[in-house]
Amino acid sequence: MNLGLDEYVHLDSPLHRWEPRCKLVGLMVLVFVFSFVQDLRLLPAMLAVTFTLYVVSRLPVSFLLTRLRAPGFFLLVVAILLPFFSGSTVLLRIGPLALRQEGCLDLLLVVAKFVSILTTGLVLFGTAPFLTTIKAMGALGLPSILSDMTLLSYRYLYEISDDLETMETAMALRGFRARRLNGRTLGVLASLAGSILVRSYEQSERVYKAMVLRGYGRSSRPRDDYQARSHDVIILGGVLILAAGFVVAEILLRGFGR
Amino acid sequence: MHIPDGILPAAVSVAGYATAGAATWHSLRKINQKEDPRESIPKASLLTAAFFVASWIHIPVPPTSVHLVLNGLLGAVLGYYAFPAILIGLFFQAVMFQHGGLTTLGVNATMMGVPALLAYFVFRLRSVVGKESRVWTGVFGFLAGAGGLGISVLISLVLLITTVPPHLDVEAERASIYALTLAHVPLIALEGVFTALVALFLQRVRPELLED
Repeated sequence: MNLGLDEYVHLDSPLHRWEPRCKLVGLMVLVFVFSFVQDLRLLPAMLAVTFTLYVVSRLPVSFLLTRLRAPGFFLLVVAILLPFFSGSTVLLRIGPLALRQEGCLDLLLVVAKFVSILTTGLVLFGTAPFLTTIKAMGALGLPSILSDMTLLSYRYLYEISDDLETMETAMALRGFRARRLNGRTLGVLASLAGSILVRSYEQSERVYKAMVLRGYGRSSRPRDDYQARSHDVIILGGVLILAAGFVVAEILLRGFGR
Repeated sequence: MHIPDGILPAAVSVAGYATAGAATWHSLRKINQKEDPRESIPKASLLTAAFFVASWIHIPVPPTSVHLVLNGLLGAVLGYYAFPAILIGLFFQAVMFQHGGLTTLGVNATMMGVPALLAYFVFRLRSVVGKESRVWTGVFGFLAGAGGLGISVLISLVLLITTVPPHLDVEAERASIYALTLAHVPLIALEGVFTALVALFLQRVRPELLED
């Protein structure tokens, strides 16, 4: 099974070449600044920055579109609820429902922020191998227990999901169909979940022994030598200044708004 | 259940990261107090992946099907590793499937991880009344599963409804929190029953998975 995150890491673009630690800091700051934006007048600039990033990253548009589809449901709920229930200025009445101006503007803000943050996140994780990004987090001070756990679970995620698939096929071949909700179905599915846990637990004991044999936990591990060159730092500086620009603009606009 | 990016105000996201950071720090401190903390890392990591995969199992609720959250079960099995495990699981979901989000990772981890820790404490009470009893394993499994999800649902609804629609009046807010919480009660019960069944399965097959 391929979860598709590393699909386009082989491309060559300035964002692919950008040093992982600088990229992580720069784009995460940008993502948080986007979530800080509340003024509608900043939305065009925010979307422009986002799409410039995406174009520069050379990731295909289809990659973005398939990724945007998955969380669309939640967005749909917000899209239906907000314009009708939030606000007091009524734009349009349809029977008992009233389309409200504030709700529509809130919706615009939510959608624009959602798309910008998600796209920037995709650029961050789609332009470097996942392992490189996690190691960069470790180099930036993520506790080793967390980075070890992340890498190990990522390593076995694919295997365990294959296990689940095999077991589900075996169950189907033996005539199990999860159609109705009753005690038996629930019992069988609970045993399936339990088996997944037991199998991975037993595997983890073997994995641990193999890791100890190879020296896990004995010496401090070799440092990942990331080297930020001057242009990596300059790009980071540029992105941080851009992010600061958004914060200043937001604060100024809020001030004028009152 | 996962709050996506762009919905919450930045202050709430930052506060979420702060609480998730505090909970992670506390969990890691407890983990490091063990004799050899590294020994349980492979176990916790593989179980993290296993929980992630197990949450894809769909339970038929005609005419549709639901998947479970399993944060109560995760707490019962992983103990203090539950919080890092949930943090990592949600991180995977955010970057691989775009469920939840990067800015809301802290909020989501708090929302699901703190109830998982509470479920761990609840499930541990089992040893007071007798670990070997299958009845008590079932009862505390149910409490851990239902409680874990129930508290998560409550936290997420309160957060969403109080922060998201900025122009909603207080009465409507309170009414919708009550209504939506009630709507989740069948799911919470289902999660409780499922957790109890898995706990009983583990007690029968691999009881050491339920030990501290």
